[in-house]
Amino acid sequence: MIPSNMHQSAYKHVSGASVYVDDIPVQDQMLTGFVVYSPHAHAKIVSFDLSKAQALPGVLAVLSAADIPGENNLGPIVHDEPCLAENEVSFVGQAVFLIAAEDEETARAAADLIYVEYKTLPALISLEQAMAQNSLMGPKRTIKRGDADKALAEAPHIVKGRFKSGAQEHWYLETQTALCLPGEDDELFIHSSTQNPSEVQAVVAEALNIARNAVTVETRRMGGAFGGKETQAHHVASWAALLAQKTKRPVKIRLFRDDDQIMTGKRHPFIIDYEAGFDDQGMLLALKVEQNADGGAATDLSFAILERAMFHAENAYYIPHVSITGRVWKTNLPSNTAFRGFGGPQGIAAMEEIIDRIARFLKKDAAEIRQKNFYQLDKNNTAPYGQVITNNNLELIYNRLTDSSGYFEQRREVNGFNAQNEFAKQGLALMPVKFGISFTTSFLNQAGALVNVYQDGTVLVNHGGTEMGQGLHTKIRQIAALEFGIPLESVIVSATNTSKVPNTSATAASSGTDLNGMAVKNAVERLKFRIAFQLAQYFNEKYGVESTLDSHVMFKNGAVFDATDAARTVSFKEAVQICYFRQLPLSATGFYRTPDIYFDREKGAGHPFYYYAYGMAVSKVEVDLLTGNHKLLRSDILHDVGDSINPDIDRGQIEGAFVQGLGWCTTEECKWDEQGNLLNHSPDTYKIPTIRDIPRDFRVALLKDVPNPGTIRQSKAVGEPPFMLGISVWLAIKDALSAVAAHQLEPELNLPATNEAILLSIENLRRRQSEHI
Amino acid sequence: MADTISFLLDGKVQIIDFSRQSHLKPTTTVLQYLRDLPGHKGVKEGCAEGDCGACTVVLAEPDKEGGLSYKAVNSCLLFLPKLHGKQLITVENLQDGNGNLHPLQKTLAEQNGSQCGFCTPGIVMSLFGHYKSGASAERDEIEDTLSGNLCRCTGYQPILESAQLTLTDVHSDHFSAEQEETRAVLNAISKDSLTLKTETQVYYLPTYLNELLRLRSKYPQALLVNGSTDAALRVTKNHELLPAIIDSSNVRELKEVQASGGKLRFGSGVTINELLELTKERFPAVSKMCKTFGSKQIRHLATVGGNLGSASPIGDLAPVFLACDARITVQSVNGLRKIRMNDFITGYRQTALRPDEIIRSVELPLIKPSVLIGAYKISKRYDLDIATVSAGFRVELDGDEIVQNCIAAYGGMAAVTSRAIKAESFLNGKKWKRETVEQTLPLIRESFTPISDARSGAEYRSVVAGNLLLKFYLDTQNK
Repeated sequence: MIPSNMHQSAYKHVSGASVYVDDIPVQDQMLTGFVVYSPHAHAKIVSFDLSKAQALPGVLAVLSAADIPGENNLGPIVHDEPCLAENEVSFVGQAVFLIAAEDEETARAAADLIYVEYKTLPALISLEQAMAQNSLMGPKRTIKRGDADKALAEAPHIVKGRFKSGAQEHWYLETQTALCLPGEDDELFIHSSTQNPSEVQAVVAEALNIARNAVTVETRRMGGAFGGKETQAHHVASWAALLAQKTKRPVKIRLFRDDDQIMTGKRHPFIIDYEAGFDDQGMLLALKVEQNADGGAATDLSFAILERAMFHAENAYYIPHVSITGRVWKTNLPSNTAFRGFGGPQGIAAMEEIIDRIARFLKKDAAEIRQKNFYQLDKNNTAPYGQVITNNNLELIYNRLTDSSGYFEQRREVNGFNAQNEFAKQGLALMPVKFGISFTTSFLNQAGALVNVYQDGTVLVNHGGTEMGQGLHTKIRQIAALEFGIPLESVIVSATNTSKVPNTSATAASSGTDLNGMAVKNAVERLKFRIAFQLAQYFNEKYGVESTLDSHVMFKNGAVFDATDAARTVSFKEAVQICYFRQLPLSATGFYRTPDIYFDREKGAGHPFYYYAYGMAVSKVEVDLLTGNHKLLRSDILHDVGDSINPDIDRGQIEGAFVQGLGWCTTEECKWDEQGNLLNHSPDTYKIPTIRDIPRDFRVALLKDVPNPGTIRQSKAVGEPPFMLGISVWLAIKDALSAVAAHQLEPELNLPATNEAILLSIENLRRRQSEHI
Repeated sequence: MADTISFLLDGKVQIIDFSRQSHLKPTTTVLQYLRDLPGHKGVKEGCAEGDCGACTVVLAEPDKEGGLSYKAVNSCLLFLPKLHGKQLITVENLQDGNGNLHPLQKTLAEQNGSQCGFCTPGIVMSLFGHYKSGASAERDEIEDTLSGNLCRCTGYQPILESAQLTLTDVHSDHFSAEQEETRAVLNAISKDSLTLKTETQVYYLPTYLNELLRLRSKYPQALLVNGSTDAALRVTKNHELLPAIIDSSNVRELKEVQASGGKLRFGSGVTINELLELTKERFPAVSKMCKTFGSKQIRHLATVGGNLGSASPIGDLAPVFLACDARITVQSVNGLRKIRMNDFITGYRQTALRPDEIIRSVELPLIKPSVLIGAYKISKRYDLDIATVSAGFRVELDGDEIVQNCIAAYGGMAAVTSRAIKAESFLNGKKWKRETVEQTLPLIRESFTPISDARSGAEYRSVVAGNLLLKFYLDTQNK
């Protein structure tokens, strides 16, 4: 059997037995769905003719926007994202027509037969262009405390600058895929690789003009998601559903890798203008930040992402006077979307650049400047939006990590290396993350579960969360087994299904275990309450003495027993059978809503987070000054997950997130040409880290003995926070570059820090250095 | 000539008759074939271009030592005829007859080496290929083994740790137990030349050189391939129908290797992986370029001839072959010709090959102790990336450290692999020292007008091209 801490699908993964949407056996009536998309960044659709394509043998349907029976929309919040373009296209890769054919070859042939005339229009293909043209997506947002302008004017020192970060492609291994099976009447069953089955159900129902109760969405597992399947899995599911409704046959759409990269949104590029005031000791006095996000062509989740960037603009530091302004800009690119960290990385990276600049200005070690400015325990512990930061572990982690990583010793070694090497420089950086846990759209913080107990003593758990590899189902299974006091093997967590648990939130915001774990616990408690009541009666009847109270009945080690009377015990299976014959319902739903969270967007104030997760990393790099290549020599991470439910899985999340973060910071680069075509549209030119790119020496530890009050088994969310620790690699590279000009000049290096960007930054430093002299 | 292919899969000899199985073409990839079978859904498509490794399978064939050689390859880049006479092993085949997981699988699972699981079958198969080929648990070797496998979830650390555990403790497995039987079955498959025909396509798979030359002469328009890692992309990415293909990968004469008196001659059918091993001692600059060539899976398929013949301006071998003054032997039915590497590439994807000729072999002449050779590849990522800029350098130093016969050859700087002639002339006759080299850098930058593209901007290319010469100089001083 599966050793207790393993991912519940691990043996299936390694033997190829895990089933993804594209692996589901289907009868031979299945059709291939194919999407024809816009070749223009912005154009008017003047005319089109589908007749030749429709006439091709083997083609069952060719659809345009006019064929959508319901609302032509995919936008989950703002309905500004057409399911199929109508009259106008607003980015390269926007779906315009759908084809259902007997096979892929026929579908491609049909696509070639579609005639469409476009009239191109001026397009905005970068954030800079959108800002210059005042192409705002919506009103600006602000969070303010004190008087930042005044404090900046009075501050002894100021750093001022502009930070830029690029797009990041999710590069989930499994591309967007959906399989739609039509049933009776309006019924549709959709196998969707989605983080958000309930929203897929909603969007499909609206597009097809059918009721939600006719649409069932099921998600067994995803081959990776990382936010990319939070809203954008709706697209392929809706397209497959439209074609299935039209043809009355099963339709599958699986995007080809290049099409997936061209059609779907990415992590938002940001431009952040900042100004920070500080004193001679490096204490922050004021911060003024203007964040600008490239939303792409439609709203999608952009405002929630901007909001999170704003909530993390100060990262782990207390700053008395703060002004944070955020804007989303509209461009002619695919709608940018959720990606692990959800705006947090951009906000935090800019803040960390500020700290480094202060340290270099004051000629102090940046780690010490960081520590000085950490939120405190009893004072200086209120975030700019008014939330009091409790259970703050920053100082604790800092002390343990500087110690375990030998930070100051490493610093001396780096200085020694740099003094001796002309063409290679090493760099070192420590950085913290403080990440707010909860959906900042407060009502989303809810979850449901359905727990069935069967007469053989086995338990089937369904909950609203989805499995994308993060081990959610494994943790939920542990929770259910622990709460029932039965072995892990007696519990199965099955595919997420909207007909079992309705109206769920996306598995996102790192909240999967926090929310669904509590909902499952709630369902188990209800069942235990019922079973305990019956078993008390049963024991009292059997032993003829009314001594067992409901509250005496315990569930442990596969048994149900009276804690006050060792004789009164039955196995869990027997208990279940007793309840069955006594006509008791052995199925229960569970529910959870996070308490005490709210946020007033108008005022920019509230208590948006249930708690914070903390982590810290120290990274050391060596940069080749002749090529711009770097080696990541060592990374030490200490991360706070409360009392871990599953340390192996948590460690996996930390390592994986860190490496994804370092990809964002180094080799992952998206470029578009002037016509708005993505140049890096396949893994040929889009480079995520390989096994050789991870730290040579990688030491990851969980913060011990700091349980988190008020959460499931006193644990903490772990999905996103460690992503930001990848920023330490960028900071270490900048530290190395700083050594090029003997720490006298500030290196200019945005994200991603590719070898190209690094070498050009070195050239820039050398130019400035010669001008300086 | 036979017109069907035979290979071993799931313990049975599978025969594909393209004239009867209409849904299969000779250019159907092994990935497409496997995905349509009910029992091999573990083989995944992640990119269909050999850049992610989710489709990795292992091919086994009898080796000269009486055993079997195992190679991990990308099934998305593999045309079906390439299975002929081989055993195809997928992730589903690793469990033994009792359903026990292979130790590699078990450890990977138990060390938390999978999260979403989509890349996992490919990772298992790459490790399996390594396990069956004299595995070592050296980190560098594990990194080479997994250079073609992307994982987006784990950050690779548990995969690395799991591989280190299993590869230090290699046991026999059910494949070892079945080795004799497998060899016998594979040896019984006829190795005669094949002509595979469908209504729209003809695929020649000759066994002997003279047949290959006759085919080349008769069908000069046909696409000549060997590993076909590049040609496969025309099918999987461009959806082209390739009407006529001559696949030279079964021609034994093209795999011949001769080493004598410091010279090394190898057939054009030698794979990059084989070349990497062959050149380790005597031509380390060549070996170094081979190590960054594609991924392990691609290096198992791609050949010297394919890389030279494609004459890509970013081909990895051309600059270092220029520096080594390689001699290319070409052949047709009319005989042999020798061409110096310097004259071989004539334009963008153009070579001096005549329509009826093939690349027969490459010779690397003896390198005198007075000659220094260096090769460099700049890419955004070390593994499985195409060069942004590549360079091959050669200087010959006399007793006074005066440079003679300098070669500074670059890939990625122009439409063809090009030499920085001005810089070479400047260096010739001057002392090999830092000042001279630094004076040369602007001349290198002036020699080229590189483009900006998806991989990098022109400015980076210019700057780094110059710096590489300095890097070469420094490397020659650090010996």
